[in-house]
Formats: sequence, structure tokens, C-alpha cells
Amino acid sequence: MLHYTNRDLEQMEVKVKVKKGPEPWNVNDLTETYEVAFPKVARFVKKMGGTLDDAKDIFHDAVIVYYEFAMKGHNEIHSSEVAYILGIAKHLWIRKYKSQRDHVSLSRMENEISIPEGYYLGVQDKKLFSLLSLTGKKCMELLRTFYFNNASLGELVTVWGFPNKHAASVQKYKCLEKIRSIVKEKTLSYDDFKK
Amino acid sequence: MTLRNNTKLIERYIEGSLNPSDKVLFEANLIVSPSLFEQYRSQKKAFEMVQFYHRKKLREELETLHQSIFNDSEKIGFKLKIHKIFKII
Repeated sequence: MLHYTNRDLEQMEVKVKVKKGPEPWNVNDLTETYEVAFPKVARFVKKMGGTLDDAKDIFHDAVIVYYEFAMKGHNEIHSSEVAYILGIAKHLWIRKYKSQRDHVSLSRMENEISIPEGYYLGVQDKKLFSLLSLTGKKCMELLRTFYFNNASLGELVTVWGFPNKHAASVQKYKCLEKIRSIVKEKTLSYDDFKK
Repeated sequence: MTLRNNTKLIERYIEGSLNPSDKVLFEANLIVSPSLFEQYRSQKKAFEMVQFYHRKKLREELETLHQSIFNDSEKIGFKLKIHKIFKII
């Protein structure tokens, strides 16, 4: 086993946080992108036989995937934001409606886009997610703020009212262990059910 | 190792921030320690669930933006453009 003191781990955590760079999501900055990119996605969805609601859902997911790629600093984002979002939307459509795969034309750039495998949850994961959203909502919110909104421990102190960074860090790990424990318990019971 | 230290190490492994030698050692420990492997598997799934929760919240924000654009009288041209695509008008 590896041996680290708590001080080592805290210093490592600071380094990890410094490495995370991009600006957090601000939905109000997206108005212009929305007005330019949504009509293009809507035309594609209409062509594939979808509705306005389908277009909206696919577009929202495409924006989220684009944002995740940008946060991870994906090197393959060479084209314009709008063209890339349209490309992601096409892939998401194919993911949802596999039978239409041959009817979607992809440019060379679009062909290189790879959507995260688990972007849409499977049946068992949906059940697990519903349970966690009910029983672990506060922890899910805290963990999302830290891991996916890139909030620092200092920001957790300010926003969540912890007395100091140490207390915020302790609570963050308690939450992670709580969610992990529910996941473990439920995953085991699903595995047992399958046997 | 305490449970908490394992949690922190798994966190760093998932984030990809362990140095190469610690990563190799951690992966070897995953093979020889079923309990560590179980913690890792559950923690990875927990991260996926938190990420899905994050996406759900972002979708809600985008829905609010969608409604505000579609209900903005100054953006009636945009709304008509979209409705025309779907032949709603």
C-alpha cells in the first residue's frame, strides 16, 4: 500500500485544484451561442424526423458535452464552436436512434468526435441515480460544486458556510464516502438480483 | 492505510493526478486487495452519478435560458425562425 501523511495528501489536493483551470459554466454567456447554433441543430433534427422538443433536448446535451470537452482541454476542438456543437448533436442523435446511423452524414471533423460512452444512463443506473437524488441530495450538490463547478475549498467555505477549509474538506470526503457506500450497497443488491 | 486515505488516493487515481510510479503501485494494490478494488469501483460509480447530477442541473439551466429566449419579445424573429423550421406557423 502507498503511505502518505494527511499533510502530503492535502498538498497534493491543492496541486490538483490548481491544475483545474477553465472558467466555471455561466449559462448567461451562452445566449449568443444558443441563437446561432440552435437553428442549425433544429434543421438537422427536423430533417431526421424529430420534433422541436427533440431538437431542444439534443441541443442542450450537445452544449453540455461541448462544455465538458472544453473543460478537459480536448485537443480535437479545432473548428468553430457552432460546427462542433452540431457535430456532437449528430452523434447524440445516432446514440439515441441507432437505426438512423446510415442516414446521418458526417464531415471529416464530425467523424472524429467521440461522445463519452456512459453519457446516457442505463436502466440500473437510472434507479441508482433516482435513489441518490433523494437520499443524498445535499451531498450530491456539494460534490458537484467541488468536482464539476471547480469550486475551491475556500469557495465551499463561503458558499456553504463551513467554519474553515479543513471542515469543508472533511465534509466533502464524508459526502463522497456516503455516496460511495450507497452505490456499493445498491450495486451489490442489483448484482445479487441478476444471479 | 485508513479508509479516508484510500478515498483520497482513489480520488487522485480517477482524476489522473498520481505520478507514474504511484499509479503503478496503486494498480498493483487494486489487483491484490479485493476490498480496495471494491472501494475503487464504487467510488468511480459515485463520481459518475455526481457527474450525471451535474449534467441534470446544467440541463435545467439551459431549459430556463431556452424559455427566456423564446419568451423575449425582442427575440420574436428567432422564435419565428425555429417555428418555421418545424412548420409550427
